Amino acid sequence: MAQRAVWLIRHEPGTPLCGTVRFSRRYPTVENRAKVFNGASYVPIPEDGPFLKALLFELRLLDDDKDFMECRDSCTHINKTSIYGLSIGNEELWPVVAFLKNGMVYASVPLVEQTLSPRPSLISISGISQGLELLFGIQDFLYSSQKNDTELNTKLSQLPNLLLQACPFGTLLDTNLQNSVDNNNFASVSQPQKQPAWKAGTYKGKPQVSISITEKVKSMQYDKQDIADTWQVVGAVTCKCDLEGIMPNVTISLSLPTNGSPLQDILVHPCVTSLDSAILTSSSIDGVDDSAFSGPYKFPFSPPLESFSLCYYTSQVPVPPILGFYQMKEEEVQLKIKVNLKLHESVKNNFEFCEAHIPFYNRGPITQLEYKVSFGQLEVFREKSLLIWIIGQKFPKSMEISLSGTVTFGAKSHDKQPFDQICIGDTAYVKLHFSILDYTLTGCYADQHSVQVFASGKPKISARKLYRFKQT
Amino acid sequence: MGPLSREAWAQRLGAFRASPSAFMAGADGEDLGRDLLSDLRSEKLSEQTKVSLLALSLEYPAQLWPDVPAAEAAATSLLDTMVLLPPRPSALRRPLLLAATTVLASGGVLGPTSGASCRLLPLLLGLASGRDVGRGFGPISEQRPLQATACECLRELESCKPGLLGGILGLLRSLLGQEGPIQPLSLLLALALRNTLVVQPRSGASLQGLLMAGVSSTGSGPWDWTLAEKGHSHLQPQAPCWPAAEEGACALAVLEPSPEEVRELRAAVAQLLDTSYLLTPVAQAQLLWLLGWALRGLQGQTPALFKPQLVRLLGTAQLTLLHAVLALKAAFGEALFTAQDEALLLRRLTLAAQHPALPLPTHLFYLHCLLSFPENCPLGPEGEEAAPLLLGPQLCRGLMPSLLHDPMVLLSRLHLLCLLCAEDEEEEKGQVQNPQWYLEELLAGLQQRAALDGGPRVLATLCFQASYLVASCLARQPMILTPLIQGLTQLYRARPVLAPHFVDLLDRVGPELEEPLRVVLQQEVVSRPGRDEALRWHLQMLAKVAERDAQSATLSFLQAAAAHCANWGLQQTLLRVCRVLLRGGGGPGLADLLQVLARQLEDPDGRDHARLYYILLAHLAGPKLGVALGPSLAAPALTSSLVAENQSFAAALIVQEAPAPIRLSVGPQKATGPLLVLQLQVEALEPVYSLELRFRVEGQLYAPLEAVHVPCLCPGRPAHPLFLPLQPRRPAPAQLEVRALYTTPTGITCHAHLPPLPVNFADLFLPFPQPPEGAQPGFFEGLWDSCLPKGAESRVWCPLGPQGLEALVSRHLEPFVMVAQPPTSYHIAIRLPPNSMLLLRLQAAQVDDGVPVALRTNDWAVLPLAGDYLRGLSVTE
Repeated sequence: MAQRAVWLIRHEPGTPLCGTVRFSRRYPTVENRAKVFNGASYVPIPEDGPFLKALLFELRLLDDDKDFMECRDSCTHINKTSIYGLSIGNEELWPVVAFLKNGMVYASVPLVEQTLSPRPSLISISGISQGLELLFGIQDFLYSSQKNDTELNTKLSQLPNLLLQACPFGTLLDTNLQNSVDNNNFASVSQPQKQPAWKAGTYKGKPQVSISITEKVKSMQYDKQDIADTWQVVGAVTCKCDLEGIMPNVTISLSLPTNGSPLQDILVHPCVTSLDSAILTSSSIDGVDDSAFSGPYKFPFSPPLESFSLCYYTSQVPVPPILGFYQMKEEEVQLKIKVNLKLHESVKNNFEFCEAHIPFYNRGPITQLEYKVSFGQLEVFREKSLLIWIIGQKFPKSMEISLSGTVTFGAKSHDKQPFDQICIGDTAYVKLHFSILDYTLTGCYADQHSVQVFASGKPKISARKLYRFKQT
Repeated sequence: MGPLSREAWAQRLGAFRASPSAFMAGADGEDLGRDLLSDLRSEKLSEQTKVSLLALSLEYPAQLWPDVPAAEAAATSLLDTMVLLPPRPSALRRPLLLAATTVLASGGVLGPTSGASCRLLPLLLGLASGRDVGRGFGPISEQRPLQATACECLRELESCKPGLLGGILGLLRSLLGQEGPIQPLSLLLALALRNTLVVQPRSGASLQGLLMAGVSSTGSGPWDWTLAEKGHSHLQPQAPCWPAAEEGACALAVLEPSPEEVRELRAAVAQLLDTSYLLTPVAQAQLLWLLGWALRGLQGQTPALFKPQLVRLLGTAQLTLLHAVLALKAAFGEALFTAQDEALLLRRLTLAAQHPALPLPTHLFYLHCLLSFPENCPLGPEGEEAAPLLLGPQLCRGLMPSLLHDPMVLLSRLHLLCLLCAEDEEEEKGQVQNPQWYLEELLAGLQQRAALDGGPRVLATLCFQASYLVASCLARQPMILTPLIQGLTQLYRARPVLAPHFVDLLDRVGPELEEPLRVVLQQEVVSRPGRDEALRWHLQMLAKVAERDAQSATLSFLQAAAAHCANWGLQQTLLRVCRVLLRGGGGPGLADLLQVLARQLEDPDGRDHARLYYILLAHLAGPKLGVALGPSLAAPALTSSLVAENQSFAAALIVQEAPAPIRLSVGPQKATGPLLVLQLQVEALEPVYSLELRFRVEGQLYAPLEAVHVPCLCPGRPAHPLFLPLQPRRPAPAQLEVRALYTTPTGITCHAHLPPLPVNFADLFLPFPQPPEGAQPGFFEGLWDSCLPKGAESRVWCPLGPQGLEALVSRHLEPFVMVAQPPTSYHIAIRLPPNSMLLLRLQAAQVDDGVPVALRTNDWAVLPLAGDYLRGLSVTE
């Protein structure tokens, strides 16, 4: 269950080492146990320098993939999880949990409580999930509300102290690093009733429950016979409950309008105390029919202090909110493009913003452009080979808009223009970004009257909906 | 040295962290541990600096205090520092507790003889029970938060020394019932409970007694080390290796607790589970692993206690929780999960493996869990990745790989798809959306992307990894392999620069893909002569795929290529192909090509090489050529490749010294005549071929000996005796020097010195031709008389064994008896080539223990040998 060591490595392409160790922490008592458990197959934790080199090599983050290297590029060197074996000296350090996120490599080495040869299956090692969770926790801490490098450095400097609280001996006590500090500060208050470990203290003040539903749609429209278009809504319900008492009980119900698309693939926060079996089994695997459970979806829980994601869901709405059509024709040096967009009549025509991005990959900079738009304005980023069509707050009455134009490109220079593995030749896409306030595509809503709170005082309940959209 | 300033310490700690080993080897290294301990008490340093010093001792105690006495002293010093803190709130108490615990546990100090251990343990227990441990530990308000820390310290000590807390289970349980901090106490009790259950059967302690032990135990008295000492060196997995797979290895002793003990145990476990929702998710997961492990060893314990928790846990996709549920599934199987439960768990897992709200590493881990799912009734072999039976194509629909996925997700999903295709083999085909069709499309897409000129290597690698995965899972499905081979050939046509990837793939895959792919790639290469860069890859490829029996197309390709091989590197690659062809024994046309190369190539090294190959081809037979050009055992040299290659030729072509592969001995002699022949027994220790044995005698005692040839010898197979004709120049015993020259099964020629073979005096005996019946006495007397006066005469006393004279004669001298009057008188005539003889008269005497022998010989030099021989007869009897 324990971790032998943890590292944070900043990936810095172009520098001699391609990265620097920004944080590392070793756990000698766990290391002692590793020595006993692993026996002859024990490989000690290396110093930071050799570890950095071996990890970046294994993750292919060094700038040297020019030549074929068998130990990295062989067809049998298949990695299907975020768990790696690093060759250090003549030995292999395994398992190393590692992933790259926002230019930072998060890594840890979980303790394996048995011999490593033969190699046990990953599923049998409890430290793997604990290690991943620890790294996610660190990631959340570093990137929650962090804007720039100075803030990152401040957060990094707080990390040793936070881990001393949340993971003093290599066994993780809480993923929420901030929480464990607060916990220590709050715990001086003696409570007659049991205080949950995930709740740093109690709230004092005006009771309030806020619920916010955010839906995103991921849609791909190919307009081709042999490939089906896809669109899927992913929803997240975020709550912040400011309620007095140690463990107030709250029940939130999500409802759908008649004929609303059922919520599926529901994952809940661990604070939810029980779930209806219909919620547990409702899954996108089965597709949708009339018999599908369509709510109300009840979530009884006892909230933590901080804002948290009560649940995530997906849904299969009958049509994509905006239908797109994109045509591209290469005529000698010129590229003729045509884009049509049509907003579905059922969708609220009131955007916070709406824009279409039209990137051109594997080509040179835009040298010349002639275009015509039926609505909105077009912004041109010549060096980035990108067009952005700003549609604004509303579609016109006809609900249909179009853009046509001719683009000419200059000579390709590799470092400036974007490269893409997929958009080769006449394979290209238009990406739509928009957001509609106070609207959900599924129609899902949390009725303020349906929220039940078993706590002292009558809370103010506010519900908010936000709909974000990304369409390709 | 006085205390260092804050800046000096920051600098010193930075230097240490950069490379602890280098720092400790430096001048400053030795003092670091000592300085650190003394500066912790310095009043000039801020608490913040001291915390950073303690952080170092938490991470590197083994470097700072490398041996047991140093660690003991350091722990004592840390505890003293804590006692000396002023009674106001301080940020140092917690890290000091952690540091003292770390130093004790990692330094191997923890035990009843360690003073520091005996101070720390009661202190931790006092803090953990919320007792007032004295003003030195700060105000009571600070002792509350220290309570949790003390629990964590005790848990770590228990982890490192199982059974340490076995004596205070009752105390821990009652603390949990009161108002102690719930999470640290729950985890501590669960760990101690589990360790006790594992250690207990060995110690014989009663479970009930442990559970019911009064709160007062170990309150202030000496610490109870009994369980820890019994359990020591039996460090037990906290979260066991996968329970099902570990039946034998972990060997939990089977407990048979009494009904009261069972009741108490169930009550304790239920208490822990009931309040588990108060723990953080990661701690809940730890608790479940521990309790699952604890209960698994108890026979007849229904795991139903876990059931109420499961529904709550299945709703979340929290990684550690779902993983813990899988561990329970593996530990208890059907006892906890019915078939329906199993289906639901699988469904949730499938869902979580693709849920858009979860991060990539989580998806990957869940995909792994799917392929290693602990099924109630597994069909396949243990430990092999397989799609669970209940995971049908319908459930997997959302788990199909796509080109838009991250490489790891793609490979992981592709593996699942391959497993489905393998199952799907017999089922109906022809649907458009069947898995095979999908797989084909995906591979085509991957190949197209890898073919992208200037694309990153990772795309090519991905394509080959996917091909390998498909080839290894679906080797017996031509429907899939055929388009795969076509696609790969097209990929090579588009990007010969990927040749190393192709070579690697051919090396790794089974014959189902390797053979056909090799053939088409060879055709592809020889049909498209290229120049420069492409030529280099073509040649590299050809070195792998060329048929051994040099086809004319290959030869003409090489001939054409030679003209474009301007630099040394290209020429070497070209010659490597020739070498491959040579290994197969060459073929018509190869000799011509090599001769052309030996003249034409620009680089002298290349020309020499070609000439060498030509000479080898002309002079060595096919199999020998194969061995000579086989993989070189010599390390690659950096100088001319000719040198490197010569080393391997040397190994293959030069006769090498080796230890004796056979054992040779002189067998029983059958003195028949007319020529002297030594019979040799041979025993093979390893297989040898074309064995030639050469013999030599010191001092020209015998005429030069002929060599003996044996075509083949194998260990364990009976071998015929060998016959070695001897032509003595004088009748004298000798040592034969023996050398063996032979070929090993790998075709290497070796020679070995065998131990010398002794030729004894008796080995030189030959009988006289038998005269006609009745003439023997006269013939003997004639010989007897002819010996003198030139020869010599003697009398020898030949001792007799219990068998008597008759037995002695029949055993040693039978072939040479001329006149016999058994059992008392024998006349014996022995011929000794080249022209000596030895005549004996044996006449039984009155006394039984010997026989007087009269002997004559025509060669006086034989006399001492004969004497020794006769005296030695009774010894050899």
